[in-house]
Amino acid sequence: MWKRDEKKPVVGIFGFSGCAGDQLAILHMEDSTVDFFTSADIKFFHMAQSHQEVPEVDVAVIEGSINTERQLKELKEIREMAGVVVALGTCACYGGIQYLGDDEETFKERMKYVYGKSGETPEFLDLVGQPKPAQPISDFIDVDIMIPGCPVSEENFVPIYTKLISGLLPQKYPMPVCVECKYEGNDCFLLHGKFCLGPVTAAGCNATCPSLDISCVGCFGTYEGANYPSMIDKLKEIGLSEEDAIRKLKMFGGNKVEQALKGD
Amino acid sequence: MKTYKMPKNVFPDFIELIKTKGKLFGPVKQKSKYSFEEIKNLQELDFDYQRTIMGVKKFLTPPKYKTLTFDKEGTKDIIDEPETNIVIGVHPCDIHAVKILDRLFLGNIKDPYYASKRENLIIIGHSCLPDDKCLCQSTGTDMVEDGFDLFLTELADNYLVWVGSDKGLSLTIAAGELLTEEISDEDIQEYVRWQQKRSSMFKTVMPSFKYMADIITLNYDSEAWEQFGEKCLSCGTCSLVCPTCNCFNVDDKILMNAEGGFRERMLDSCTLPYYSMVAGDHDFRPDRTTRLKLYYTHKLKEYIGRWGQPGCVGCGRCVTYCPVDINVITVSEALFGEVCETKEVCE
Repeated sequence: MWKRDEKKPVVGIFGFSGCAGDQLAILHMEDSTVDFFTSADIKFFHMAQSHQEVPEVDVAVIEGSINTERQLKELKEIREMAGVVVALGTCACYGGIQYLGDDEETFKERMKYVYGKSGETPEFLDLVGQPKPAQPISDFIDVDIMIPGCPVSEENFVPIYTKLISGLLPQKYPMPVCVECKYEGNDCFLLHGKFCLGPVTAAGCNATCPSLDISCVGCFGTYEGANYPSMIDKLKEIGLSEEDAIRKLKMFGGNKVEQALKGD
Repeated sequence: MKTYKMPKNVFPDFIELIKTKGKLFGPVKQKSKYSFEEIKNLQELDFDYQRTIMGVKKFLTPPKYKTLTFDKEGTKDIIDEPETNIVIGVHPCDIHAVKILDRLFLGNIKDPYYASKRENLIIIGHSCLPDDKCLCQSTGTDMVEDGFDLFLTELADNYLVWVGSDKGLSLTIAAGELLTEEISDEDIQEYVRWQQKRSSMFKTVMPSFKYMADIITLNYDSEAWEQFGEKCLSCGTCSLVCPTCNCFNVDDKILMNAEGGFRERMLDSCTLPYYSMVAGDHDFRPDRTTRLKLYYTHKLKEYIGRWGQPGCVGCGRCVTYCPVDINVITVSEALFGEVCETKEVCE
C-alpha cells in the first residue's frame, strides 16, 4: 500500500513580479488551507508567515516573472537550494501580462516614456534592483513543473503539489480549455462568430468563463498543442484583424506565443 | 416486440408515471444549444431538437468521475450507481451509439463502472426529422430496432410506443390505461407516410460512405491528411462530442492533507498531444496530422474490421461543433474526391 515518507518535505513559496494572486489562491483554498500548512514543512511564505528560513527546500514554488537584476540573482539562489522547482501561475510560466517581448532598445524607450525624458532610472529603484524586461523564470533556470493560471485554480494546483510533496511524479498531460468546456457541455463561441481563445489556452480552470457565457481570454497561458496559425485564421474569419488577433494571443501567452509565431 | 399507441393528451400523465421510476432527463433548450438535463416540469422537455452537445455517453462514461478512494487503511471502489436514471427523447443515432459503447465496455472484459451505470439507465427513444448535418441514412443508423427500453414515434395526435426490453415492458404495464394495443389501419398509414416523408428529408446522402473503409485503405497516403493537420486546432472537441468516442485517462489525485485521495477517470481525446506517448517518452503521434489520421481511420475503417460497422452513427455532432470544419463529411469527401478521376464518377 502507498505510504509517504515519515519526514515532511520542506517547501518554500517564493514570489517575484506579479500580483501575488497565486500565493493568495493557496491561502484562499479555505477547506484545505490548514492541511496545506500541516502536510508539508512550510519554511518560506512571505504572505502567510512572519518568520522565514531558507537553508534548502525540497520543493520551491515560485510565482511571478523576473524583471530586475536582483530578482534574477535571488531566483538563481533558489534554484541552487531547491530539489524541485515549480513555476506557479502564468507570470512565472510564460511571463504573464507584463511580458512585452521588448529588446534592450524598446525597453529603454519604454523607461523614458514612463520615468521622463532622460531615461535614467530613479534612485529608489536601487532598492529593488535595476529593471529589465519581464521574462518567465524558465528563461533563466531549469523549471521542473509548470502550473499556469491567473490565478491558479485549486483543482489544478492541489493534485500536482500533493504529488510532489509525496515524492511522486505528477502527470504531464496538456489539454486546451475546449476539453473542459465540453466536459461542462458548453456551446462553442467561435461557431457563433464570437471571440474565444479556448483552443490555444491551457486547461485547468474547469472552463469557468465559458461556463458563465464569457469568452476565454487565455489567462492560463499557452496550450502545448496550440495551433497558432490556424487560430489566427479563425479569429480573422470572425472579424478580427491579424494585428488584433496576435495582440490578444500575446496578452497572456507571453514568450510562448512569440516563439510560436516566429516559427521556433 | 410489442407496440402500443398513446394519445398525446395523456403524455403528461405518462411523464408523471415515469418520474416515479427514477430521475428523469430529457432534451432541454439552453440558449443556442440542447442538452440532456434533469426534467423538473414537463414544459422544459423539448423534443423539437436536432442534437444535444453530449450524447447519452454523458450518463454512461461521464466526462469526469471518481472510481476509487484511498487512504491509510486501503482502497475503496466507487462502483454503485444507486439511482435509476431515465433519459427520454433519445434519437436513433444516439441509441446506436450506446449499442457501440455496450459492445466495448460490456464485451469480454466488463468495465464494472460502466456496467453499473448502464444497468441503472433506462432509455426512452424518440423519433426525429433530419437536418442537413445528419448523415445517419448513409451510416445505416437512421432506424433502430434494439438498444432502447421504449421508443416513441410521434404522429399527429398519437405516439406509437415500441417496447425494446423487459424494463420497457414493465413501464408499459405500469402505464396501464394510458396505452392501448388497438392500432388502426389509419394509424399504420400515417406511420408509413411519416417514414416516407422522413426518408425524403435527408439532404446529406453519401453513397461512398458504404466503402469509405476501402477508400481510406487505398488512399492511405493521401495529401488530405496534411491539409487537415494544418488546420486542426487539436482542441479535442470532435472526440468529446462524438457519442461513440470513449477513450479515457486515469489519474490518482492526492488530497491536500497528503493522507488519502481518489482515482479519477476523465474523457480523453486522441487529437491531444501525448495521447500516444508511451514509457520512455516515445510519442508515436507527435503531430496533428498523424493524430487526426488515427482518429478517422479508427472511426471509419478499424471499427468496420472489428465490428462490421463504422464508429460513426451519423449524428452530425462533429459537423456542428468542429470550429475549423474537420468532420466525417469533409474528411470523407476529401479522401474520396482525390481518387475520383472525373466528377461524374464521384457522383
